[in-house]
Parts: sequence; C-alpha cells; structure tokens
Amino acid sequence: MVNRTAIIKQPDNISFFNDVYKLQKEYQEALILDNSNPDFIWIGEHQLCYTLGRGSNYDNLLFSLNDDNHDVFKIDRGGEVTCHMPGQLVTYMVLDLKNFKKDLNWYLRKIEETIIKILGTFNIDCHSREGFTGVWIGNKKIASIGIGCKRWITINGFSINIDCELENFNKIVPCGIENCLMANMIDYNKNLNIQEVKRIVKKTIQEEFNFDFVSK
Amino acid sequence: MSHEIFMPALSSTMTEGKIVEWLKNPGDKVERGESVLVVESDKADMDVESFQDGYLAAVLMPAGSTAPVGETIGLIVENEDEVASVQEQNKGNQPAVSSSSDQLELVSNKAEEKPVAHSEIIEKQEKVVVLKSEKAAPSFNSEQINAATSNVSSRVIASPRAKKLASQMGVDLAKVNGSGPHGRIQADDILKANGQPVSVPWIGEGGSPVSIPGANLGIESKPETAGNSFGNPGETVQFNTLQKAVNKNMESSLDVPCFRVGYSINTDKLDNFYKKVKQNGVTMTALLVKAVAKTLKKHPQVNSSFSEKGISYPENINIAVAVAMEDGGLITPVLKEPCNTDLFELSREWKDLVKRSRSKQLEPDEYSTGTFTLSNLGMFGVDRFDAILPPGTGAILAIASSKPTVVANSDGSISVKKIMQVNLTADHRVIYGADGASFLKDLASLIENEPETLVS
Repeated sequence: MVNRTAIIKQPDNISFFNDVYKLQKEYQEALILDNSNPDFIWIGEHQLCYTLGRGSNYDNLLFSLNDDNHDVFKIDRGGEVTCHMPGQLVTYMVLDLKNFKKDLNWYLRKIEETIIKILGTFNIDCHSREGFTGVWIGNKKIASIGIGCKRWITINGFSINIDCELENFNKIVPCGIENCLMANMIDYNKNLNIQEVKRIVKKTIQEEFNFDFVSK
Repeated sequence: MSHEIFMPALSSTMTEGKIVEWLKNPGDKVERGESVLVVESDKADMDVESFQDGYLAAVLMPAGSTAPVGETIGLIVENEDEVASVQEQNKGNQPAVSSSSDQLELVSNKAEEKPVAHSEIIEKQEKVVVLKSEKAAPSFNSEQINAATSNVSSRVIASPRAKKLASQMGVDLAKVNGSGPHGRIQADDILKANGQPVSVPWIGEGGSPVSIPGANLGIESKPETAGNSFGNPGETVQFNTLQKAVNKNMESSLDVPCFRVGYSINTDKLDNFYKKVKQNGVTMTALLVKAVAKTLKKHPQVNSSFSEKGISYPENINIAVAVAMEDGGLITPVLKEPCNTDLFELSREWKDLVKRSRSKQLEPDEYSTGTFTLSNLGMFGVDRFDAILPPGTGAILAIASSKPTVVANSDGSISVKKIMQVNLTADHRVIYGADGASFLKDLASLIENEPETLVS
C-alpha cells in the first residue's frame, strides 16, 4: 500500500454536525473530480443530534419529530439511526477506496479491526459480531459504523463512546437492533480521557491506512 | 437504444443489494457520472451512477427491494423520445418514485413529518404494484413487447450492420420486427426477413469458451451459417476507419520478431467455479482476465514491452480484450488493474465496456491502455490459433475452446478432461521463451488448481 496524503482536522471544541458534514462533502466532491486531491480525516465531537441513513426506518426514532427539540439529520450513509453527543468521539474518513480495495465489506471490516486496535491500546477487550457491524464488549455496543460511498470515495465513518450520556440512546433503537445495550470506554478503563483516545485514533488510522497526515 | 443499470457489487462477497432510494424519476435527464440511485449492503451505501448521458426511462426494481448483483434494475435511453416506448414496454413495472431527497435534510420541524410518512406509504404501494406485475409478467412474450414497441415509436431503430444489410438486400426496415433490446433491428432480423440463414454474431465477448461446443451454441447446431461479408460478390468495399486502424496495427507487427509458445490447460475446476458464480453476473472473460492479470503480477517480464530506450515496464497491469465489431474491424476494450478489482465488479465493467464498444462510445483510454492482450475464439469451438501482437505491447494470449479430451495421466491411467489450448505470442526482444513458458505454467496451475481465488 502506497502512502497517501490525508488532511487531518481534529478540533477541540464541540462541532455542529451540519458544518462537518458539509466539509466532508466538499472533500468527497474534490476527490471525485480529481483523485490526486488529498484524503480527509476528521476526529471530534458533536452536539447532541440524531442521524439517519438514507435507508433508515423512521420507526426507530422513539420520539416524535415535533415533540422533541433534538436535531435529526438524514445523511448519505448505510445503516439505521444513531446518536452523537459530547463525550463520544466521531471519526470521519473521506478516502478513495480505489487506492485500497474497491470493496465496501473489506472497508467495514478494516474499520472494525482499527477500532479493536484502538481499544486494545487501552487494554479493553472487544470484538466484532458477524451480521452486526460495529464493535462490541460482550453484548454491549461500544462503537458504531456507518459509511457512504460515491465512485469509491467514502464518507462518514465511526463513533466510539468514551464518556457520554448513554441515556440519549434510549430515545432511539440504535442501529435498528431492539434492546441494544450501549457502553462507554470509561467504564472499562478509568484512567483514559477523550484527548488521549483521540491521539490513539489518529495514530492507529495512520498505521492501518498508511497515511501521511497534513494538519489543517 | 437503451442501456441497463445493473445492481453493482459493493464487495466481493456481496450476492444481493438493497435499493435504498431512486434519486431520479423515470423521464428525468441524467448525465454521465450523475447519481441515479442508492444501493445498500450492511452499514455501507453507495451512489450508483449513470454511465452515459441520457434519460432514466424505467425503474425496474423499486426502492426498498432487493436484487441480485448484476441484475438489471433500471434502463437509461439516449434520446428523450425513446422514454415513452421503453415506459410503454415496462408498463406496470414502474413504481412511482418518491421525490428525491437531496444530500442533507433537516427534519426536526413539524412540517417535514408528514411527507416522511407519506413517502413510506408510497413505498408500500410500490411493493404491491411490483408483486402484481411480476405475476402478470409471464403473459407477455418478447415478441409482443417488441411489436408493441415498434408500434409506439415511429422511429426505426436498427444496428449499423442491419441498416447496411437492409440496403444491400433491398429489405424495408419499417416492415422488419426487431428482436434486439426494445425492438432494435439486428442484422439477423434482416437476414430472416430476406429468408436467409441467420449467422451467429461473432463477438469476442467470451460468454463461455469452456462450454462444450455444439451442446449449447447455435453455431454448431446450424452448420450452414452465413459468414461475415461487408460487400457483395464482385465488389471492392473501402475499409472503414476501424478496419484501417487495425490494418496499420497488424502491418506494424511485421517489424516485431515474435515467437509463440502454447499450453494445454485443464478447465474442469474453472468450469465448476464458473457455474457457481455465473448467476452473480460473472462472465468467463472476467475470469480469464483475472487469472491472466494475477499471473502477470508474478511475471512482470511478460507485461513489459519494447521501446527504443530499452525494456519498458508499465506501472499497471491493464488487460485488453479483442472484441470484433459487427460492421467490421475490431476494438480492444481495456480492463484496468484487474488485480485490484473483484470479480463481480470486473464482470460488470466488462459488460459495460462491450456494450459501449458496440455503440462506439469508448473513451480513448478505455481501448488504448492495454499492457497485455487476450483474444478469445473459444466460443467458435476452435482448438487452437495464434494471435498477432498489437503494437506497444509485449505479448498477446490466444485462447481456444475447452473440449473434452482423452488424457493420459502420469500414473498411466486414462481419463476424459476438459482441455483448453492457449497460445502466447510474444516479442522476443523483451520476452524470452522461458519467460513465456513459466508464465503459462503458472497460469495453468492457477486455473487448474485454485480458480476460486479469482474472486478478489
């Protein structure tokens, strides 16, 4: 695998979902137009919001769209509804799979492996489950994955619960799985903090995908 | 003419995909490269783009439905006036499409809730419509459909060769029923209308070189087929542009000191594997291309070519495959980097290339960037042939038919195996006999022992 230049952005403040989504789209469009443009990685946190894939079932939103004051976004990714909030680390990867493998299943499994390595760094034992994309600790879900793709240029990525209010997941059926229990990394390793995890996420992605990072 | 949109392979292990959403309605204009629909497999979804400018004529599988990889799920036509005829033909099979949701929708306000619910109802209705139309489908036969099409459209759609034959034979195109897609008149239809035996189209597409010749090929069961001719007896017909280009390339090969080396490959395992993956849209051409590309990766010398400066090693492995054009000449569409593309995607790319070759819609880099060429005449049942080396490349592989053959095994026993002869023509300035021979040995070993590794 050849080293690829990727622009990395990792803001410390909470980012509004819509802004980051637009940014991803811009990088995706640029790569579609010219594949010599850089890949793009974003690692950060969002305000509380709910996102749906293009094929998502609205029944998995347990609140009424007009009662609650939550932000709900329908975006270009596969999978069912999920939830983002402060304390959860979100990673987006806009990359050209033509430089890796034109295989979305390979990409999903590669992301799972990457997350398992990240958690392994913090001595947290976790695993993937066949048929249930994501990363699990026992029967609890610690990380969720959802990606979109256009001309093999990916968008979106994965989120890892670090230390967030898991009650927010009670308002939805996460990933469309009934009675799905969620977990936080902090419950398995008291000594970690989100900045530390962010550093490891960056390092692991760099190694797994052979990136030369350029900060922006 | 219409172009099919296929269910793409999002991964090498995917056998079917779910249509999440159609981004275009039937009748909408689409540009080459524009997203037409969204397909989902697991947690990943993918925009499926149009391969050409035109109009979405028909949605054959509605949003929410699942289709096997390679299945035709929609049709695109080049001209707006063809939409009506295609729609007529697919009547009852086209669900209404809920309005496309553009990139991002903020649905947190009240007003948005109803349309969401509404679109779900539409989706449910669509499913009902499709179920009904599936039941109704068998009552249509292709002749009725084609007849209906030609009634609706006053324009006569015919292949270039059909037009030429019609004018040579004095056949009135308006009176011919086309047997091609959407009533397109093919050369065979003209022959039929003129009471002549029908020839088998000789396209080097390689549906199945390893099938038993005679068992399922029209060419064997109709021994008195008409051969190809571009003119009438006594005439001299000018070369067309493509024929001239081929002539130039063939003549330049006379300056190249070529040698040939052949090999007999047992295809029993390959045939069995092909039977399994065929239903997922895999073509024999894609299988052979994949096998050759994987073997070339181990034998870079056979992928090299002569240049004034020395032996030139291309950065990529791009396999060109010769396709005969029905109105003369041939073209070599290129499958780029087959090693990096899974078999299903490769098959889809190949079908698209062949389709666009026939309608002469290939971009230059789609037929001129081959680093190694395949020529397959297996579908004609030939037992062996040798190919002429295209300029700028070092080698070309001629693939003959796979035939049941009595084989003496190393232990002295005798058995019947399917044997396919291949013959490599190479430029001896860059590729030597031993290079060619060891390449063929590894190619044979891959095809004979582990054809299932050709998947990715």
